[in-house]
Amino acid sequence: MKIEVLGSGCAKCNKVKEIVQKLVNENNIDAEIIKVEDIDKILDYGVMVTPALVIDGDVKIAGKIPSEDKVREWLMQ
Amino acid sequence: MANAVISGYIIMAEDLKCACDSTNVALFSCSGASNVGQLSNQLAIELTEKGVGKMMCAVGIGGEVAGLLRSAEGCDRIIAIDGCPLNCTKKTLELAGLEVNRHILVTDLGIKKNKDLRVKGPELADTLEKVSEILAN
Repeated sequence: MKIEVLGSGCAKCNKVKEIVQKLVNENNIDAEIIKVEDIDKILDYGVMVTPALVIDGDVKIAGKIPSEDKVREWLMQ
Repeated sequence: MANAVISGYIIMAEDLKCACDSTNVALFSCSGASNVGQLSNQLAIELTEKGVGKMMCAVGIGGEVAGLLRSAEGCDRIIAIDGCPLNCTKKTLELAGLEVNRHILVTDLGIKKNKDLRVKGPELADTLEKVSEILAN
């Protein structure tokens, strides 16, 4: 599984990465977590507001910090 | 400074909005094939430059582009600018399940719809002033 956290490295972006990392560890998920700060790569997804979370190429959320329950649901799909 | 192009618009790196700093307001225009459609597009650009909100791609909402849909969903408020009473922008957003908080209709601002695609100078300035007043209230 490829998980990308899109954002400039601000507090909310770091929080999203923290949530994802925690859930990946807790559930022993085989995943590569990447922090994407490159504006061109972020815009390639059509994302206009950050933070954003992309799982296996699918943009799950943008502009908000997702709840842990929501991220768990996405990771378990 | 990195630049990128989304649907024909140059987006400067600093224009990608981080949700940490303030309220996110999305601006969508119909950008249709008429004077008022093109005026709606220019209004969205001007309002973005004035810091009222951030112009986003309405056609991407109709096209169900995930990143654009999620970005709109992640905004605190949505302003739709339609050129004429066909209300394509408002309808497109609502069909995608997005709530439109403010709706601007250019023909309600004293501009008659025609097939001109060039926005005439005074029309933009006059309409922008009216829209700014509406949004301030």
